[in-house]
Amino acid sequence: MDLTELQLDALREMANIGSGNAATALASMLGRPVDLNVPSASALPLADAVEAVGDVTTEVTAVAIPVAGDLCATVLMTFKPSHAATLCGFLGVAGDPEMELSALQEIGNILGSAYINAMGTMCGLEMEPAPPMAAVDMLGAIVASVLATAANSSDLALLLDSSMIVEGAECEFGFLFVPDENGVSELLGRLGLWEQDAA
Amino acid sequence: MADRMARMAEIASSRTAGDVLVGLGLGSCIGLALTDDSDRAAALAHIVLPVSSEARSSDTASVAKFADIAVPALVNEMVRLGVPVSRVFATLVGGAQMFAMAGSMDIGARNEEAVRAALARQGVAVRAAVTGGSVGRTVRVYVGLGRVTYKEAGGQEIDMLPAAVAMRRAA
Repeated sequence: MDLTELQLDALREMANIGSGNAATALASMLGRPVDLNVPSASALPLADAVEAVGDVTTEVTAVAIPVAGDLCATVLMTFKPSHAATLCGFLGVAGDPEMELSALQEIGNILGSAYINAMGTMCGLEMEPAPPMAAVDMLGAIVASVLATAANSSDLALLLDSSMIVEGAECEFGFLFVPDENGVSELLGRLGLWEQDAA
Repeated sequence: MADRMARMAEIASSRTAGDVLVGLGLGSCIGLALTDDSDRAAALAHIVLPVSSEARSSDTASVAKFADIAVPALVNEMVRLGVPVSRVFATLVGGAQMFAMAGSMDIGARNEEAVRAALARQGVAVRAAVTGGSVGRTVRVYVGLGRVTYKEAGGQEIDMLPAAVAMRRAA
């Protein structure tokens, strides 16, 4: 699965549209402005892909949303625990760890849906989010486990990586979209950027 | 004396006493450590998935990615470092399910099953294992000391090997 610059550019643009829609959803939920950095799209060997997301031993709060339908993927949000607590504070659920995780899963559900809806509309793909799951653990263990489900027959993992910042607060988080290998060709195919013989 | 990383789908090995083989942040992946009774050498694989059969052969450049390929490769690595297969034994760390999801396939458990089956085919015994659950772990193998440890996020480093004296007496 070697991707050309043109293909990566197209994927980056889709990440931009998806995460833009997700950031808008978050801003209206919180009643606060939300910034978005420029998303990156990279196809990397598994080991490098894990490290590209961050320091593997850092403890993070993570929410994963499996996506099924025309395209299989996982949306993964990663927070520093203190930033997750800030976000929960905005929603009035700070303090109770179980409530916090549940609130973060709900945010994951809303943002993940906003992301895949924007992407799906653009590409004509039907996608459904499954119920979100949360974990607090080492970043490496979480990211590697998501990549394991996505990269069965390929040694390269595709990551669409963006981060969102709630303005005026210590609240920033990573937002990853990881399509499985068939998902990558499906996405690019809808954009007319996938050659069958390249598969 | 150095830390040698076995990153996702990679193998690390050494016969230099003082080296430490490290597998950071194992979730559903398995850190498979091979050591020997004379503590001459050690090898560590960071295994991602159970079987290679679904993969295209041209894409399996990462030798440690699949349990069925990684285990024989890791045993060969010990032989290359001068340890006869009969003296090699295994320690397993990882195989967790980071996100508990009803009805989904538990890759961690399948990984452990595949690693154990492949070890049995090679005639390598498992001496210690800390696997399953829903926590990430880091494995460290101290070459020359026969010491293998694991550590969970925010936790202490815990010794798995050398096995307790009581266990040797029982054997």
